[in-house]
Amino acid sequence: MARLLREIAYVRSGDKGDVVSVGVIAKSPADYPAVLRSVTPERVKALYGSHVKGPVTVYRLDNLDAVNVVMEHALGGGATRTLRLDQTAKALGSGLLRLEIV
Amino acid sequence: MKDVVTLGAGSGFWGDAADPAMELLERGDLDYICFDFLAELTMSLLERQRSKNPELGYVPDAVEMMAAMMKTAHAKGTRLISNGGGVNPRAAAEKIAAAARAQGLKGLKIAAVDGDNVVHRLDEFLEHGVSLAHFETGEDGLARRRNAVVSASVYADSSGIVEALDGGADIVITGRVSDSAPYVGALRHEFGWAADAAHADRIGAAITIGHLLECAAGCTGGMSSRWAEMPDMGRVGFPFVAVRADGTAEVTKLAGTGGRVDQFTVKEHLLYEVGDPGNYVMPDGVADFTTLALEETGPDRVRLSNMSGRPPTDTLKLVIGYNDGWIGEGLLFFPWPDALGRARKARETLLQRFERLGLAADDIHFDFIGVDMLHGPAAPMPEYELNEAGLRVAVRTRTREEAEKVRRACANLWIMGPGGTSFGAPLKPRPVVASWPTLIPRALVTQHVTMTEA
Repeated sequence: MARLLREIAYVRSGDKGDVVSVGVIAKSPADYPAVLRSVTPERVKALYGSHVKGPVTVYRLDNLDAVNVVMEHALGGGATRTLRLDQTAKALGSGLLRLEIV
Repeated sequence: MKDVVTLGAGSGFWGDAADPAMELLERGDLDYICFDFLAELTMSLLERQRSKNPELGYVPDAVEMMAAMMKTAHAKGTRLISNGGGVNPRAAAEKIAAAARAQGLKGLKIAAVDGDNVVHRLDEFLEHGVSLAHFETGEDGLARRRNAVVSASVYADSSGIVEALDGGADIVITGRVSDSAPYVGALRHEFGWAADAAHADRIGAAITIGHLLECAAGCTGGMSSRWAEMPDMGRVGFPFVAVRADGTAEVTKLAGTGGRVDQFTVKEHLLYEVGDPGNYVMPDGVADFTTLALEETGPDRVRLSNMSGRPPTDTLKLVIGYNDGWIGEGLLFFPWPDALGRARKARETLLQRFERLGLAADDIHFDFIGVDMLHGPAAPMPEYELNEAGLRVAVRTRTREEAEKVRRACANLWIMGPGGTSFGAPLKPRPVVASWPTLIPRALVTQHVTMTEA
């Protein structure tokens, strides 16, 4: 059984306009390389499918053993316009923990 | 000049708990407590209130909290800074001054900072060739929505706050400044950090500290991935920070309060609602989160060093709120056996009802509650039979009448729905105020400070 990102990372997500950002923090420095390998724009985009209409960027923070995932056009039009219940994308970020570790 | 300045977080949003702020005031002996009350579209709500009554338009909780805290704050020399003035900081300051007089605090100085509200200047901007293009989409169509505009507030920098503090204000209440500006303003006042290239790293540190504290319990265990490990969150301590003139800082919370401060609570919040972490653009400057070092220096104590930044940009963010139709919404729930099958049948029935009612929808969205409502396409279908499931529908319409049809269709399913269909009171349609973020030249905005003495 493949190991999932939930075993090695913490996340926190939120919104700005129609952009959703997810901080992904390695539980230990030893886990950081696997986080970097596993969290790529292509894999994030494939995971969220039609929920994320724009580009995905993954920023490295080597000083924090963390990456910041920024997904554009990802909130259905922004907090007040979206038809989703999770208007400010507080819950959406933990979906990333479903990624298989590579 | 002080060697160390202490600042606490008093509120992370309009609706936050008041008791942790009071605890910080009474036991923290802090130089400043800073409060954030404004979300992205709070200004639209407040602008509507002011249009009905020119005495309103501020956050009532902000005035109440200042009134409850001012006596102790005055005795301890703690200054209180908030953005709770909304679209009417001067009215808020008058109310605070009245409360001070009623408590015998004659001479207390209250500063109102405004100039951020440009709802009456949009035509002037357009006439002067400011495009007001949407900064996410590049779209240039604000003129088409001009009549739907409710509010327009610039995310102003901390210069008005600095001026107010330089003038001896005990309490500062502002309109729309950046969430970090109350913290940055206090540090600029105390340490004389100017918003220029020579102080870019110091301002970068101030912005980083403000970002870390502006959501209050957000860095002391709130919203944590490690929620199961967070003790006594119902009596969580709000964070406070001791900042040194060399631009280093230590974040902590009061002993005996709930929650936790450690490298992970700090890291999680540093990355909260951030774009490019090397380029965190605020009106006071640009912070770079990729250089800083974190160190756990004791229980519930994290030291921040090597924070950095760059000088401010020539533009300021302006968020325009405009009316953008309605949302009709419904929730229905279904029991075992075959709960999900019942939910799917209800979705089909609802779509037929929408058709029969002639619903004019811009967009229709369904969720299966208990399956994919929160993670959408990232959620796999369950491989086991659910004990219960829900169906949520949300529909965007141009008018309230159309949105009412969603409520009616959901109510139709009381009897047309699958056996076991259950739901509470149908939800009311809600109006949508959409946000139009844009950038304008910094020079177009001048902040004003009005000092009131109790």
